[in-house]
Amino acid sequence: MPALPLDELQLTEKDLLTGKLKTLPALHPEKKTERSFVLYKPPPKSRDPALLEEFLERARFIADDLDWLLALPHDKFWCQVVFDETLQKCLDSYLRHAPRKFDMAVDLAPEVNDLTKHLHRNVFLTFLRMSTHKESKDHFITPSVFGEILYNNFLFDIPKILDLCVLFGKGNSALLHKMIENIFIQQPSYFNDLDEIVPTVLQVFSNILYACGLRCEGASAEPQKLEERIRRTSPGDMSLQELKDIVLYLCDTCITLWAFLDVFPLACQTFQKHDFCYRLASFYELVIPELESVIKKRRHEDSSLLLDMWRRLSHSRKKVVEVFHIIIHQLCLQPILESSCDNVQPFIEEFLQIFTSVLQEKRFLCDCDELFSVADDVSLLQQASSSLDETRTAYVLQAVESAWEGTDRRKKNMTGPS
Amino acid sequence: MALPRLTGALRSFSNVTKQDDYSEDSADLKNKRSQLQEDLLHSDHSWKKIVKFIEENSEKENQPSLHGDLRTILQASKQIVGCENGQEAIESGAVFLFKTLYMKEYVGHEETKAIKQMFGPFPSSSATEACNAASRIASHFIQEQLIALLQAPELQTAVTQSCFGKNIAFSFDMHDLDCSEELPVNGKMDKQKLISLDY
Repeated sequence: MPALPLDELQLTEKDLLTGKLKTLPALHPEKKTERSFVLYKPPPKSRDPALLEEFLERARFIADDLDWLLALPHDKFWCQVVFDETLQKCLDSYLRHAPRKFDMAVDLAPEVNDLTKHLHRNVFLTFLRMSTHKESKDHFITPSVFGEILYNNFLFDIPKILDLCVLFGKGNSALLHKMIENIFIQQPSYFNDLDEIVPTVLQVFSNILYACGLRCEGASAEPQKLEERIRRTSPGDMSLQELKDIVLYLCDTCITLWAFLDVFPLACQTFQKHDFCYRLASFYELVIPELESVIKKRRHEDSSLLLDMWRRLSHSRKKVVEVFHIIIHQLCLQPILESSCDNVQPFIEEFLQIFTSVLQEKRFLCDCDELFSVADDVSLLQQASSSLDETRTAYVLQAVESAWEGTDRRKKNMTGPS
Repeated sequence: MALPRLTGALRSFSNVTKQDDYSEDSADLKNKRSQLQEDLLHSDHSWKKIVKFIEENSEKENQPSLHGDLRTILQASKQIVGCENGQEAIESGAVFLFKTLYMKEYVGHEETKAIKQMFGPFPSSSATEACNAASRIASHFIQEQLIALLQAPELQTAVTQSCFGKNIAFSFDMHDLDCSEELPVNGKMDKQKLISLDY
């Protein structure tokens, strides 16, 4: 007899209180075990033994509890995951607070390192199991019900998915890609949520600009308040701590966006619905030169801190350009490479529109061209379509050249043979 | 203070997440310890079961000393668990101490962690006495007998169940800042390559 999906399975067992037999759905709150998962807190920055001991105790509890959870049979695992709020909070607290490698470095004792690794792996495996609707031939959930369970219980949400990409994407990208793809396939509402959070991402850009005393054109439709100009502080005048916070926020934002789109490029379409490439380029054009200039001017205040900020800013720049190119590649170049000659026109049009929208962002254009040659991309368009509008491509290439001419930089790999 | 994060802003300012209230969770560690002690009380192992096993499987001439050691463990448990928690809790604590220590020559780091995790801070001399007594008792039996006595039913299930993901290759590699950046800064290509601030 074929096995039933977990969502249709009924189990009969003896009631411990009355001693009578009773039948309940396999997925039922009564089948949850009382376990009391604790919240994750990051390792202490200071060497206070009491704080360290508390961290170790918490981490040990969570690691052991997740060992137990992962060893549970399929039905018990899902009862726990769906109905145990302490487990959901515990996992969420890990995603929120687990240190990223690019955070300020903290020296950890070997004992902390071993436990941290154990915990890190267990959290990943728990999310992996939660994103798997078919664990074996006999243990599975109806795909549509699986999608509902994930979404209605907030087992995954967009911020959690972004955190997963930052924390686990480097070494486990193939597995993470499968997990996220499966979640979005079984529950397309996640695309709606993604669509909803893009304006918040853009608001984060605006907030960073605002904190730097800059304002992004078109970022906000609200009129400027009269006292606003007075309140704003330029990065040159702010305290080092404020400047550091801005750079850390910028760096985290850029790496998180990049890590997500790198693992799940299918999200690019949703981002670009909000004119994301243009917004990204104009954000870059405003914020990067301003922060670079301030860090250089203030280099004597605390050179090691400013050097660290410089590294973060440089890394953020690279990630912004890479995000831009992932979107271009996903929406334009990849479809052109995969399509027959008759179908490439809309993708070429999209490419030209995106580039035309960012041509005034000269610094961004140079940096983008340096990392991903615009001429190479245009050459791909030329090879794909014989009816390419050469006037428009020439206009784009000319704008890139003129952006270079406006700087005293030289293009890499552009010098002829010596 | 928490570091500023994009996902923090998304959690706070978008409608796509569950707005969890974490304010009631400050006592979670204390609750967890209470939960563990309660689980221990309701576990299938009882102190009486251990005493009965020892009486039935040991030579008569050894029994006075074995009873003395059992009393030592019970006394140590009383010190660690606290008299105010009642006889049942003390006996559960004695079972835990015996299970944790019977194969150990001394109370090492792992054992200390396990006892502390269960009961919180404890007098180390009591744990040492319990450890010595448990080892003396264990020396009268073969290991298989004690394993059969002490293995919890839930542990046996876990052993037969395969743990999810045990064969999955997991990488601990994480995104980090690049060591060097390729992009030039404001036209100063050579200087930027070194990421130097000495202009």
